Amino acid sequence: MRKFKQSLASFAVPLLSILLAFLIGAIIIALRGASPLTALQYLWKGAFGTKATLGTTLAKSTPLIFTALCACFAYRCGVFNLGGEGQFIMGSIVACVIGLNSGLTGLPGILLCLIAGALAGGVWGLIPGILKVTRGQNEMIISIMLNYVATLLMGVVYTSWLRDANVPQTPSIPVGLKLSRIVHGMRFTSAFAIAVAVGLILYYFLFRTSSGFKLRAVGYNMTASRFNGFPVNRYILASFIVSGAVAGLGGSAELLGSQFRLINGFGAGYGFDGVAMALIGQLHPIASMVVAIFFAALRTGSTTMQAATGVPTSVSDIIQALVIVFTVAGMALVKLPEFETFRMKLSGGDRKEVKSA
Amino acid sequence: MSWDFVSNLILASVRMAVPLLFIALAELYSERAGMVNIGLEGLAAIGSLVGFLVCFITGSAWLGILSGALVGIAVNMIYAFATITLCANQIVYGMALNIFAPALASFIYRVYFGTGSELSQITLMSGIGIPGLKNIPFLGELLFNQTPMVYFAYLLVIVTVLYFNKTRSGLNYKAVGEHPKAAATLGIPVIRIKYIACILCGALSGIGGAYLTTCYANTYTEGNVAGRGFIALAAVIFGRWTGGGILLACLFFGFCDALQIRLQVANFGLPYQFFQMIPYVATVLVLSLIGAKKAGPRAGGQPYRREER
Repeated sequence: MRKFKQSLASFAVPLLSILLAFLIGAIIIALRGASPLTALQYLWKGAFGTKATLGTTLAKSTPLIFTALCACFAYRCGVFNLGGEGQFIMGSIVACVIGLNSGLTGLPGILLCLIAGALAGGVWGLIPGILKVTRGQNEMIISIMLNYVATLLMGVVYTSWLRDANVPQTPSIPVGLKLSRIVHGMRFTSAFAIAVAVGLILYYFLFRTSSGFKLRAVGYNMTASRFNGFPVNRYILASFIVSGAVAGLGGSAELLGSQFRLINGFGAGYGFDGVAMALIGQLHPIASMVVAIFFAALRTGSTTMQAATGVPTSVSDIIQALVIVFTVAGMALVKLPEFETFRMKLSGGDRKEVKSA
Repeated sequence: MSWDFVSNLILASVRMAVPLLFIALAELYSERAGMVNIGLEGLAAIGSLVGFLVCFITGSAWLGILSGALVGIAVNMIYAFATITLCANQIVYGMALNIFAPALASFIYRVYFGTGSELSQITLMSGIGIPGLKNIPFLGELLFNQTPMVYFAYLLVIVTVLYFNKTRSGLNYKAVGEHPKAAATLGIPVIRIKYIACILCGALSGIGGAYLTTCYANTYTEGNVAGRGFIALAAVIFGRWTGGGILLACLFFGFCDALQIRLQVANFGLPYQFFQMIPYVATVLVLSLIGAKKAGPRAGGQPYRREER
C-alpha cells in the first residue's frame, strides 16, 4: 500500500507540476498581450501537429535522452554527475576527429565513431569518479569544471585544429558517416533508436539484475552497503564510467545524426537539462526518456509559437525550469509527515492510523 | 617579465577576486547554518542581469547592485522554502535554481531588449581613491584606489571573521550548522537562522553577480558568470570554511583568471582557449591536492525537522 502511494505520488507530482508550470506560462503569455490558448495551440501544432514536426521533436529529444540517462544512472548510484555536458562534448570531439581523419565510411566508420565517442565520454566521466573515490573530493564541482574544459577544448578544435577555412567551425563529416533516417519525411535518425535502446538496457540493468540492485543499494545507503561488503568504490567508479559513456555516445550520435560538425554552442546546456529531466522523471530511465521528449516538444513547438503569435521561445525555457522547481518541491512536500496527517484528516481517518502506518 | 606586468597582474587579480569573494562568502553564510547551496551560479546570473538592467534604466550602478541583492534574496527564498520548510534535498534544489534562475534571466533580457544583437552598455561604477593613501606607490593603487565594492568586500571578510569567532550570535549561528538539535535545545531559533542564512546568501550572490555587470564588464552577456558560482564553492572548501581562508582562496582563483587573460594577450602561438582553461583546471587541481579533510559544518546538507526526537 505504501509503495503504491509512493508510485502514485511520483506520477501525480510531476504531472501537477507540469500543469502548474503551464498555467504560469499562460499567465506570462497573457501579460505579453497574446492569447494563451492560441499560443498553446501553436505550441502543440509545432511539436506534434504534422509528421514532419513530430520527426523534428524526436530528433531534438535524442541528445536530451542521452544526457538525461547519464544523470539518471549516476544518481541511482548516489553520485552527482553534473558533467554530462562535458562528457557529451568529449564524445562529439573524438567522433568528429575520427570521422574526419579515419577515411572509414559506412557501418564500420559509424561504429568506430560511436564507440570512440562513448569511450571518450567514459574517460571524461571517470576523472571526477577517481577524484571522489581516492581523494574524497566533491564530484559535482569537479565534473562542472570539466564541462568548461571540454567546451574550451571543443573551441580549440573548431577554431584552430580542424577549422573549416575562414569559418569558426569544423568541416562537415563525410556523407558516408551520417546516420540515416528511419522514417521517410521525418527528421529523426537511427540515433533516436540507439537512445531508446540504451534507455531500455539501463532500465533492465537497474531493475532486473542483481548488480543493478546492488548499485541502487549503494545509492540508497552507502554506509549500509559498505558494511554489507559491497565493493562501493567499484560501483561508484563504474557508475561514473557508464554514465559518462552514455553521454559520450550521445555526443557522437548527435554529431553523426544531426549536426555533422562542431560549431559554437554545440551541446550547450544539455548537461543540466539532463539533470532536470532525470529528476522530473524520478530517476527512472524510461520516465526520464518521456520527459526528454516532452522537453524537446516544448522547444520545437515554441519556435512555431513565436512565429505565429510573437511570444518569445524563452517562455518554454521558463515553463521547463518551473516544472523542475515544482516537481522537486512537490516530492519533498508529499514526503513530509505533516502532509500525511493532513491527507488523513481530509479522508476522515484518525491520527493513530498514521502513526502505525 | 617587467615590474609593470607583475603589478598589473596583481591589480587585476584583486579585481577578479572580488565577485568570487562575494559569492564564496554567500556560500559560507549559507553553509555555516547547514544549508549547502549549489545554486550560486543561478543566483549570480539573475543578480547580474537585474543589476545590469536597473543600472541601464536608472543610470545608477548603486541601484543596480542593490536590486541585484534584492532579486538574489527573492529567488533564494524559493530554495529556502523548499529546503527548510519542505525539507527538499538541498543539492537537488540548488540544481533546480541553477536551471531556473538563468532561464528567468535570459527571458527578462529577451523581453526587454528584443532579439537584436546590438549590445547595450552602461557606465561602470567609478573608483574612489582614499586621499593621501592612494598615492603610496603600488600599494596605494592596490588597496586604496578601487571601486567602493572592493572596499565593501574586504570589510565583509573582516566582519565575517569577527562575527563567527568573537560574537555570541555568531557562535549560535555556527551551532545551527554543526548540530541543529542541540542548538534548538539551547533555545537557538534554528529555523529562523536558516532563513536568515538564505537571505544573506541570496543577497551576497546577487551582489557578486551584479558586480560583474556594474563594476567589471559594462554589458550583459548570457553565461557571463562563467562558472564563478561553482568556483566559489571550491573556494569555500579550499578556504576551510573561514573568512580569511576564503579571501586567500578567492585571491588565488582571481590570480588564475587575471593570469589567463594576460597569457591570451601575450600570444604564445597556442589557441587562446588553452589559457581560458586555467581557472577551471586550477580548481580541479587545488581540490584534488587538498583532499577531503572534513572541515565543513557537520550538519551541512541535512534537513532539520523540529518534530523529530
